[in-house]
Amino acid sequence: MQRTEKVLQLRGQQGRSVRVVREHYLRPDVPCGSALCQAACPRDGKLLSDDVTHYIVPDWKVVQDYLEILEFPELKGIVFMQTACQAMQHQRGRRQYNKLRNLLRDARHDCIMFFNEFQMLSYLPRERGESLEKWQTRSIYNASVWYYNHFLGRMPIVMVTDDEESVQQLGSETEGVFVISFKNYLDNFWPDLKAAHELFDSILQSRHERESESQEHSGKEYPEHVPTESLEAGIKSGRYIQGVLNVNKHRAQVEAFVRLQGASHKEKDLRTDVLVYGTKARNRAIHGDVVAVELLPQSEWKGRTSALCENESEEKASGEVYSELMPTGRVVGIIQKNWRDYVVTFPSREESQSHGKNTQKILVTPWDYRIPKIRISTQQAEALQDFRVVVRIDSWESTSVYPNGHFVRVLGRIGDLEGEIQTILVENSVSVGPFSEAQMCEMPVVLPEKPWKVSPEEELKRLDLRETHLVFSIDPKGCEDVDDALSVRTLPNGNLELGVHIADVTHFVTANSYTDIEARARATTYYLADRRYDMLPMILSANICSLLGLVDRYAVSVMWELDKTSYEIKKVWYTRSILRSSYKLFYEAAQALLDGDPAAAAEIPELQELDERVRKQKLDELIWAIGKLTDVARHIRAKRDSCGALELEGVEVMVQLDDKKNIADLIPRQPLEVHETIAECMILANHWVAKKIWESFPYQALLRQHPPPRQEFFSELRECASSKGFTIDTQSNKALADSLDKAVDADPLVNKLLRSMATQAMSNALYFSTGSHPQEEFSHYGLALDKYTHFTSPIRRYADIIVHRLLLAATSKDGKTITKNLFGNKELEELCNHINNRNRAAQHAQKQSTELFQCMYFKDKDPEKDEHCTADGIIYSIRTNGVLVFVPRYGIKGAAYLKNKEGLVICCQSDKSCSWKPGCLQRFPDRIISIPTTGESVTLKLFDHVTVQVSVQNSRCHAATIRLQITSCKPHRTSEQEPAQSHPISKMDLVKEVTKTAEEAQLAQDKAKANTLEEEYEPYRQTKGVSLYHLLEEIKDLALLDVSADSGA
Amino acid sequence: MAGLELLSEQGFRLDGRRAGELRQLRARMGVFAQADGSAYLEQGNTKALAVVYGPHELRGSRGKAPHAQALVNCQYSMATFSTAERKRRPHGDRASAEMSLHLKQTFEAALLTRLFPRSQIDIYVQILQADGGNYCAAVNAATLALLDAGIPMRDYVCACSAGFLEDTALADLNYVEEAAGGPQLALALLPQAQHIALLELNARLHQDHLPRVLDAATQACRHLHALLDRVVREHLRDAAALLGK
Repeated sequence: MQRTEKVLQLRGQQGRSVRVVREHYLRPDVPCGSALCQAACPRDGKLLSDDVTHYIVPDWKVVQDYLEILEFPELKGIVFMQTACQAMQHQRGRRQYNKLRNLLRDARHDCIMFFNEFQMLSYLPRERGESLEKWQTRSIYNASVWYYNHFLGRMPIVMVTDDEESVQQLGSETEGVFVISFKNYLDNFWPDLKAAHELFDSILQSRHERESESQEHSGKEYPEHVPTESLEAGIKSGRYIQGVLNVNKHRAQVEAFVRLQGASHKEKDLRTDVLVYGTKARNRAIHGDVVAVELLPQSEWKGRTSALCENESEEKASGEVYSELMPTGRVVGIIQKNWRDYVVTFPSREESQSHGKNTQKILVTPWDYRIPKIRISTQQAEALQDFRVVVRIDSWESTSVYPNGHFVRVLGRIGDLEGEIQTILVENSVSVGPFSEAQMCEMPVVLPEKPWKVSPEEELKRLDLRETHLVFSIDPKGCEDVDDALSVRTLPNGNLELGVHIADVTHFVTANSYTDIEARARATTYYLADRRYDMLPMILSANICSLLGLVDRYAVSVMWELDKTSYEIKKVWYTRSILRSSYKLFYEAAQALLDGDPAAAAEIPELQELDERVRKQKLDELIWAIGKLTDVARHIRAKRDSCGALELEGVEVMVQLDDKKNIADLIPRQPLEVHETIAECMILANHWVAKKIWESFPYQALLRQHPPPRQEFFSELRECASSKGFTIDTQSNKALADSLDKAVDADPLVNKLLRSMATQAMSNALYFSTGSHPQEEFSHYGLALDKYTHFTSPIRRYADIIVHRLLLAATSKDGKTITKNLFGNKELEELCNHINNRNRAAQHAQKQSTELFQCMYFKDKDPEKDEHCTADGIIYSIRTNGVLVFVPRYGIKGAAYLKNKEGLVICCQSDKSCSWKPGCLQRFPDRIISIPTTGESVTLKLFDHVTVQVSVQNSRCHAATIRLQITSCKPHRTSEQEPAQSHPISKMDLVKEVTKTAEEAQLAQDKAKANTLEEEYEPYRQTKGVSLYHLLEEIKDLALLDVSADSGA
Repeated sequence: MAGLELLSEQGFRLDGRRAGELRQLRARMGVFAQADGSAYLEQGNTKALAVVYGPHELRGSRGKAPHAQALVNCQYSMATFSTAERKRRPHGDRASAEMSLHLKQTFEAALLTRLFPRSQIDIYVQILQADGGNYCAAVNAATLALLDAGIPMRDYVCACSAGFLEDTALADLNYVEEAAGGPQLALALLPQAQHIALLELNARLHQDHLPRVLDAATQACRHLHALLDRVVREHLRDAAALLGK
């Protein structure tokens, strides 16, 4: 054991200066982490490549200020010295430091950390009276020299620093080790890397601003934050409350809520969130920050506004009606900042002129309403006017009204589809570039003339199902990434054998390979309205992993032996296998076979080539298998219903239907039973895999929980239902499902809306690591299962890949080799959080992109003239100055005002059309009455049908929004119906069909927000064949045709 | 000091050691002439002084004393200057009393007390500087002092602590690592027979991890044994050289 001399370090801690003596061991065997190394350094982990022209060593100050530039993938061969990293950690806090850590961890970036302070020769003790900064620079320089000598001078080292003095002093001290300033470095080595130069300038400028500002200002805009220690103490003692700040999107200037977390609120009996009123009280906290709030005295409490409101910055002077008072507080400190990249828009030319003198500092407006304006220093403001731009926040001093930030990069033009999509991606922190070369190199090579083959070694290891089992897959039409297939057969003893076969993605994606790291970062495939971003490279997702028909593929199979009559599960086993899917069916065909439709067989391509007799026999086999499968699924489902009681059946059926009718084809109305069959098999597989991995790894298994919803969230649902005379029992999932089933009105939309409200009241299902939660919390409320996980879609979800690895480790005989690659509980929990976040981001991105397309669709239409802009709506919520309306035709939910900005209220004419007149509004729980001074009053009740006009409100800085205006109080008769009568052409029906599918697809999108059940049924959602965008385009085309047809007739 | 990285991803601890490495150990035996046995020991920055008297006649009340074996009397104390802030009570507080009891149990298991019925062995340990692993340093110092006094023992008693952090077992924790609040296991081992004289765990640790932590501690104790043995042999050689002249 080598142990060397011991050095003392002195440290003063905050408050009283305490002398702390720490040991410090120096050693000769610190790995240098370079592939160039000739000495016997251990070479595990990440290595610096040896084919760069030089290594760059950033000084501590450079690391702190310009980390973003060092993150550029073009910069290679970066050595972060331990001294610099520690300085970063102490001075910039954990968040920044974690950024650095992730950079170091990322195998794609060519950078390492060198522990210079532990290396015997590169360590320098701090001299008496030497300032910390000087010593840090000196240490880093000394380490650079050591590094240079370590490679026997074969690699020049460039140390970049901001300190002019050290450039002068150290610049020519050692040959081969160059000390230059960062600016100089960029100019000389990367003259072409424009983005880096721009970033450098903008960082530099914002730094100067900050410095000059801190000198001149003394007037404080905000109270100072309470120091961290007193915050922690305050939270413990219950004086402060910790929570996440949520800014109200519609009243971003004034209202924000703090959702409580931690134990502190239990004692205080705080049921609701805490209201933070006004920006002063918010005290520089930004949406998403973890903050500590102090409650105000009860006399200052306020209520939340229930009035509808637009995102105008001016405060509404009068007419604000508050609901009951709720706890109100002010932010005293920020525990964790949650700053990310923000998309902003520069003010247009006219606006910026009125802003006046200082053209260097510009206030930009973020795309997200909840984020305050950000002050940017840049000279490019003119040029950037018409673009969406990414900025980052640097600081928010108590002396400044707005935070300071700097410009990072340009996304695209305002209003441009590509730019807007990029905006949505950045706002959801989704980063999806094309797959890198390193990742593609890991992929097996597949050429058309040389297709991929099963390797003989694998053939020995795997169970071969190719000859013995009839395997087939059922998916939506046009699906490329088939990750599940099924089989069923009778065993010699008469029992049934059911098999669910999932693509063996982990065979191709080894743990910690580049592809794996990338997939982990993406966590899921992102589906936007018009495109998708795959989690795995195309070659895997659509080819080698996909269980296509009539080719050999690897799979992971879960097999059950079922009793021949009762379908009790006798035995279950898990294995890796090789299979050849005999049929790649789509849902309609499968259903047709099940229904005994003889024509269906003609549609199956696999059967075309065969002669009549063989064909008949094969067809019979297939029909038997599908029938048996359906039978089994019915049983399993019935059992699940009875013992656990699940499901909001209608919702899921509806969603199925939407997914199913994946837009291009317009055929079935009815949900197909095949869907349920497939879903049930997948749920069964997921459930059993969850059990298995939990048994084998009780503290590091990845499961999925769906916590029971909080009862108070159901209050709106109950109120709405009672207005129609239904009672909704929300005590248990069973009771809820039953009472929802009973709440059937003459208007089918009522039930739909009630169900969607119920879904919104529920919390999201989440992934978690079993080691971090007590066992009671494992259960899945929606599916009524005690354990559940995701196993069946490894091509689209990273969680499934983890579960595959767990399962394979649990079932392999020589557990050792594989267990090595599993995550520990803590890492897994972190990963689960990451995946949950990504899933949420994916859902948001999907929803926002859909809204984007909705707006683009309505944008070119004149609301007054175009008949497509007038539609039927149903009221589903009442507010003080308006109502919330759901437009089933386009699946839009939005607000419609009964009182406009001038204070005029809506008034009904005798022909039931509406106009604006002075008057007042009266609101009751289930209806709202508009009483104009002259003319009849208007009463609107919940679930009333009205006619609304759809228009688009464009906004330069934000996403465009859909506006609704009530034009008549009676239900809208679609104008199509009349021409449809006069023109009984199928084309018109087509339009209707198309719009209906759109509507339902929309409904599904709306639910995606809170809908967890939908997710469970995603297995068969797979690839979205034709997108909503195409559909809308199609409607447009058809509309044109209609007009011409009409005029022709 | 939130967010100290106790174990870096490359496997270094705060002070530059790797997970299984011990702190530097230095020891001297026979530092005081008047006591029967004495030793001074440094484990990193933890410094301990141990003094042994006896075996001698029983003092104080005989009622409590066992008949067939010697009474082991231990006292553990910490110097007022041993911590960063001056300590008010050097001994007699609850923590010290507990530590004394632990020492007593440890050495009752290791000393051949039956050889000295109706007599008493006193062990006094003082921590001069505390930087984590106080109990372990005390045991190791007392072992050397007992050897110096020539009191028959079954074996050396070697003690070492071990902690558990991010799926890794750390040997010989220093103060910062102790203060971080993770589980800490103190093991006193008779290394040749592999008998455990005392085992203490002061926080919740999952039983799946226990074998690993225990292994780390055992390994550390073995290393300590080798080091202590070297100290004893050197001391013996010096003493023998003196006698020889």
